[in-house]
Amino acid sequence: MFSRTRSTAAMALRAKPSTALLPFRAGQCAMISSTASKPAAPQQTPGIVAGNDSTIPPMKERREVPLPSQEGKKGAMQFALTTLDQVANWARQSSLWPMTFGLACCAVEMMHLSTPRYDQDRLGIIFRASPRQSDVMIVAGTLTNKMAPALRQVYDQMPEPRWVISMGSCANGGGYYHYSYSVTRGCDRIVPVDIYVPGCPPTSEALMYGIFQLQKKMRHTKISRMWYRR
Amino acid sequence: MSTITRTFRNLWRVGIRDAAHQMQYIGDTKAGTLIGIDRYGNKYYENLQEELPLRTRWVDYKQKEYDPSQIEPGWHLWMSYAVDKPPTEDPVLQRRQREWEPVEHRPTLTLGRSAFKTYSTTKNKYFPWTPVAKSRAQA
Repeated sequence: MFSRTRSTAAMALRAKPSTALLPFRAGQCAMISSTASKPAAPQQTPGIVAGNDSTIPPMKERREVPLPSQEGKKGAMQFALTTLDQVANWARQSSLWPMTFGLACCAVEMMHLSTPRYDQDRLGIIFRASPRQSDVMIVAGTLTNKMAPALRQVYDQMPEPRWVISMGSCANGGGYYHYSYSVTRGCDRIVPVDIYVPGCPPTSEALMYGIFQLQKKMRHTKISRMWYRR
Repeated sequence: MSTITRTFRNLWRVGIRDAAHQMQYIGDTKAGTLIGIDRYGNKYYENLQEELPLRTRWVDYKQKEYDPSQIEPGWHLWMSYAVDKPPTEDPVLQRRQREWEPVEHRPTLTLGRSAFKTYSTTKNKYFPWTPVAKSRAQA
């Protein structure tokens, strides 16, 4: 009742008659706001303080580096080693043995990957319970501070070459529990992560897609070529 | 590749050249009718009579470095059995240029030049500067 009279009073005090029918709309509420209006301005170059007319320090020059997949092959040795790498990468990518680090509900989706619908066995993926026999660690779920040393130890026990898939938003960056006192804000604080699978939890399809991305990464790994370059 | 006879039967039907291509891309020999080709160039096949359930629709990728995200959204629906008709026949799935609709489908760009990189949208806490030293007054 009171708000209604106030609005009608505000309408009556206007210099120009308003054509709007509704008294409270987003445009009119702006005049109630106590802060000064701040129209959008183009962003200033960082480093320029108003009133300081010194020159801007030179930025780092942009340098285009060819991607590993874009580098050509030079010489007979490189051709031979490329073939060798392809064979090794094929062997690596077609028998991924993940170390299952199921910590929370993401682990259920990880289990679905092994069930007949998504059938990871056709990709040569077999879950191993031992870190000594596995190549990939799938961190599925919330990593707590208490579990973090165990995760690092399991990672250290895995033989080279090894990869890590971070599955779900909790493992990626804390996720829902980001502000909790007992949760590690992302498993990449503990171990180096190759593939981040987003989702809460990610579907089995999403995890499978992450595995495909990891296989793609393996395909472009230059094992013996990097050794030869050194 | 369920049985040897099935593999060779499909090889006989599609020919040696296509069968070699399928073994490279799909890892199996499959025979079916060509349903359509999307704008990127992937070919979509179907064989509802002979194949097992959930294997009746498949895609022949254009690119060797194939990726499931190269399938366009409408075709992805068809591939995952969400619709009966392919997007070439279904008027609902034909992409109209709505305001909010992306003009063209983009696959996942991870591991490439256009891969997503994180960036900060907040103002920096400190900035680089060039120090200005005033010359000392001569005594």
